[in-house]
Amino acid sequence: MLPKKTHYHKLKHKLAKRHEDVRKKVWDKHAIPLADLANNAKQVAMGSMGGLMLLTSAQSNITLPAPDQQVIEETRSIELDKSVFFQSDLAEMLPDEVRPLTKEEETKTGELLSAHYGIPVAAEIDGKRLNRSYGYIGAEQHLARYPGDTMESHFNNPDDAAKYWSSGMAPGLGAWGYFVPAGQQLSETDVQREKYYLAVQTFLSPNFNQRIREYRDFYKFRKMLVVNPNNGKAVVAVIGDAGPAQWTGKSLGGSPEVMKYLERVDGRAKGPVLYFFVDDPNDTIPLGPVDVAEQKLVNKE
Amino acid sequence: MKKKQFYSHIVDTDSLTRALLELGLKDDEHKHLEILIESTIHHEIIDAILSELSEGDKKIFLKHLSSEDNHEKVWEYLMDKVDSVEEKIKRAADDLKKELHKDIEETKKS
Repeated sequence: MLPKKTHYHKLKHKLAKRHEDVRKKVWDKHAIPLADLANNAKQVAMGSMGGLMLLTSAQSNITLPAPDQQVIEETRSIELDKSVFFQSDLAEMLPDEVRPLTKEEETKTGELLSAHYGIPVAAEIDGKRLNRSYGYIGAEQHLARYPGDTMESHFNNPDDAAKYWSSGMAPGLGAWGYFVPAGQQLSETDVQREKYYLAVQTFLSPNFNQRIREYRDFYKFRKMLVVNPNNGKAVVAVIGDAGPAQWTGKSLGGSPEVMKYLERVDGRAKGPVLYFFVDDPNDTIPLGPVDVAEQKLVNKE
Repeated sequence: MKKKQFYSHIVDTDSLTRALLELGLKDDEHKHLEILIESTIHHEIIDAILSELSEGDKKIFLKHLSSEDNHEKVWEYLMDKVDSVEEKIKRAADDLKKELHKDIEETKKS
């Protein structure tokens, strides 16, 4: 017979998954009234939320923590936490239509994102900026990292292959060519850059034609924070390609990994994202999904 | 002790508590899983209700729900807005409970 502890851990895993699924369903289907309530709830003492006590927030990852009494009590009181307030603040700040933000909107949004994610971001750095910082994102394909890189050689593990194979490989190279001249030279940095890359409309930057070289150097693998304002999910990615064309109605593209994490899709169900430059002169901010530590309960399993 | 919800009189979770007890978990582990189950059922029921309401009514319902345990007011509102609301809540909870029992049974056998 397996030890009892194993039973607990196994069941916890199953139940946490179920909880996460139903939480997501509720927030996906009824986001507006819930966010609206969260907004009004700013005025309400958390202890007096009656029947909402067990209703967890849009972002709250209630894969419950280790079972000590204090944490259990904390869990009971989890509800419309900071992340919901962040999303409702963001919703209030953003226009109803998906259009370029005004300078004032951009500044306020940048400040909110910096404060929430703990990552300094800006729409403009050193007088250089993209055409916009809020727009529809489309799905890009994987990029060849070196000559001979194929779908067969592209993934480090079977899990990634299963998740991302279907996106396929782009027929051409990214804006900066191959990431490395040969497969043997591929570093973890290169792997991460291809995994978390964006295609942005570099060619629509103000005065691009007069400043091509300057812009090119600036944009090459420039880090950006991309945020899905509807669920608060955020990724740090690099600019790896130029596009999409204006006629597509999309303003940027995301690698399969970026799109998956942000829960954004292409086509008729496409949705907007915010995208701001990460101010990281010392290159200390890692690429990939951003955790907002204070939002999360630590699963000590 | 479990928190009394406005639907507690029609949604009985004792069978799940008993099934958890059969796993012989430590007290804190048991409580922990009980909270997860309770919260999952709560979400499912809230979803079942919200799915029956208009956007405006959803807001009013949530407002009632957030007021201090005023179950009567919640029921009064739901009875007025949703046909056979008790039956719908019960069905949503029962379907989920079956799945949760399955999870517990599978764990027991593993």
